Amino acid sequence: MNLNTDAEKKNTFDAIVVGTGISGGWAAKELTEKGLKTLVLERGRMVEHPNYPTATKDPWDFPYAGRATQEDLKQQHKQARTGYTVSQATKHWFVNDLENPYTEINRFDWMRGYHVGGRSIMWGRQSYRLSDLDFEANLRDGIAVDWPIRYKDLEPWYDYVETFVGVSGSRDGIAQLPDGKFLPPMELNCVELDLKDKLKTKFNRALTIGRTANATAPLPHSPLRGTCQYRNLCSRGCPYGGYFSSNASTLPAAQKTGNMTLRPNSIVYELVYDEKQGKATGVKVLDAETGEQTEFFARVIFLCASTFGSTFIMLNSISNRFPNGFGNDSGELGHNIMDHHLSAGASAQVDGFEDKYYSGRRANGFYIPRFRNIGNDKRDYIRGFGYQGGASRQGWSNMVAELSIGKGLEEAVSNPGGWTIGMVGFGEILPYHENYVKINNDLKDKYGLPTLTFDAILRENEFKMRKDMVSDAAEMLDAAGYRNIATFDNKIGVGLGIHEMGTARMGRDPKTSVLNKWNQVHACKNVFVTDGSAMTSAACQNPSLTYMALTARACDYAVSEMKKQNL
Amino acid sequence: MNRREALRRTAMIMGGAISAPAMLGVLKGCKAEPTINWQPEFFTREQGALITEVAEIIIPATDTPGAKEVGVPGFIDKMLKDVYSKQEQENFLAAMKAFDDRAKEERGDSFIDLGPEDQVAFVNKVHEEAVNAHKTDPSQPRPFILMAKELTMLGFFTSEPGATQVLQYSPVPGAYKGCLPIEEAGNGKTWAT
Repeated sequence: MNLNTDAEKKNTFDAIVVGTGISGGWAAKELTEKGLKTLVLERGRMVEHPNYPTATKDPWDFPYAGRATQEDLKQQHKQARTGYTVSQATKHWFVNDLENPYTEINRFDWMRGYHVGGRSIMWGRQSYRLSDLDFEANLRDGIAVDWPIRYKDLEPWYDYVETFVGVSGSRDGIAQLPDGKFLPPMELNCVELDLKDKLKTKFNRALTIGRTANATAPLPHSPLRGTCQYRNLCSRGCPYGGYFSSNASTLPAAQKTGNMTLRPNSIVYELVYDEKQGKATGVKVLDAETGEQTEFFARVIFLCASTFGSTFIMLNSISNRFPNGFGNDSGELGHNIMDHHLSAGASAQVDGFEDKYYSGRRANGFYIPRFRNIGNDKRDYIRGFGYQGGASRQGWSNMVAELSIGKGLEEAVSNPGGWTIGMVGFGEILPYHENYVKINNDLKDKYGLPTLTFDAILRENEFKMRKDMVSDAAEMLDAAGYRNIATFDNKIGVGLGIHEMGTARMGRDPKTSVLNKWNQVHACKNVFVTDGSAMTSAACQNPSLTYMALTARACDYAVSEMKKQNL
Repeated sequence: MNRREALRRTAMIMGGAISAPAMLGVLKGCKAEPTINWQPEFFTREQGALITEVAEIIIPATDTPGAKEVGVPGFIDKMLKDVYSKQEQENFLAAMKAFDDRAKEERGDSFIDLGPEDQVAFVNKVHEEAVNAHKTDPSQPRPFILMAKELTMLGFFTSEPGATQVLQYSPVPGAYKGCLPIEEAGNGKTWAT
């Protein structure tokens, strides 16, 4: 009897956080800083700042000019779908698809890596706030369910997380893209400034420098953070701490409190629900290295394992109370998969500016905020898209055929080529109940755990929007006087935006949503879900900043509820 | 072998930095013995010799190293072996054979057995035709010479000499300046990355 109690005590904490990515790192920081003894469980291996294996390698240090080999593509055939994730510099951050399979009824792209820090190591760092245009959208359009929060609820938390994270950007006064607490903005280059000017005069549209979680000024509150060195190798991990990652930012803050127990190689596969108490008592963990199964206990549990990570845990947690998955009274768990659809836009060649160049490699581009379906603009689809893009001087790779060979070739290539500019749209995908993920017990992963089956497609609203994503880009480049405009609209899978969200959505009504306005599971108030699963609509802005704000806010609420003995 | 190794071995065997044009001068008028100083893992020795000569014609040594010295032939061999799919490998080898067959037809000998001037003339002719064909119809499958050219350029401009001597490269720029007069952007050459 004694032994059991001792073992249980050893495995009992005030709080458990599942996942160490964008949201998990924040939950770890907030809960530990508020005094909670917190067990932080990460399914993947340890990664400690500044140990990023390829971070300082030069191009000639990689075989194959950094390209993926046929063997790489075999092992990571789904991760390779972006065209850039599986390179010699970054492939170790992405899962082996043969060991971690999933089933796609229609093409579905699920890009992720399992290690401490998760995708906060490889993320694109673009950080934008949602506005009430987004929070009110479902209600206004009569779609899905209403967000249970508004911008004013999240605003102080956006302030809070931006200040810690260090987001560089310019204050632009654009209603649909609220300004934030910014570090100095990075520069636009000459051609981008030209386009900015022309968009203002010809379309009255904004073009701004990307708002990126790269530090353009020191962050004294975050000792491992240096400033961005403009190497543009962020996705390898940054030994300078130049951008926000859990590893360089939130996890060290949590570590400093002395309240964190970080346990990598710990795959949470089930929540433990106590029907009598009406709450979750803990989680079941499979050790990824030893195969040992262990239970850990806590008063409060934060699921931050990424959208499909957390949703898997919930779907896999079947009990008498929850026969359809944890907290799934509504039947919405696993449904309403959203993402941003991209890979549509345009590029052009720009005459002039031959005497201008840039120096340094800016880990950022320009951003054109959404202008469609705003004010009097009414399209044949709802919602909208933003553009991310950039201008540069052509290197040799676009000029292979044109260049003369022999002595002249080196000379020609060493002279910077003509300017080109391009932009890619990021479009909002609506929440469709029919876009969903479910557990597949017939296909197991390398750990013997069930896998996921996805069925999600783009539908009419998205395809109509893509037409504008292409033609608006072409129109703007054309009006700017650029030439040889080339448009593109590639066939993609849902998930390619790597902004998957919505499968445990927040809402006002437990009959139609999984979480309440505090990210608590309606049916079990001591479990919080604060990663992308929670999103009620996708907006078109990159979502990670919103996950951070929701997490910090939910942690604050959780702790205040615990102090009141409500949890 | 990696590029650094190839570079070291090449310099050793050639007794220092003897540039290809200098070597060609010595061998002028003689049929060059088609040997290579690296061990192909994908190509046959003859194919390796062919790609070596073609690469060096595309990017010859000048006052900066050429394709051979920076190890481009070995790089191309590795790319074919590990990065190219089976179909892409077959396409490449078939195109290479067509190139060589044409050399036999037009110049009377396999490419690697031709004299240096013949090789250069042949490559230039074939290349010019390929460039014109590409201008007319860019959708046509790439002939050998353009495939070889692309691989040569890729290997060369990601090599240390290519990136740092012919182009310019800054491992840790420290700052980003968006709009500079070109002569103030480093040394004004194209940035390697």
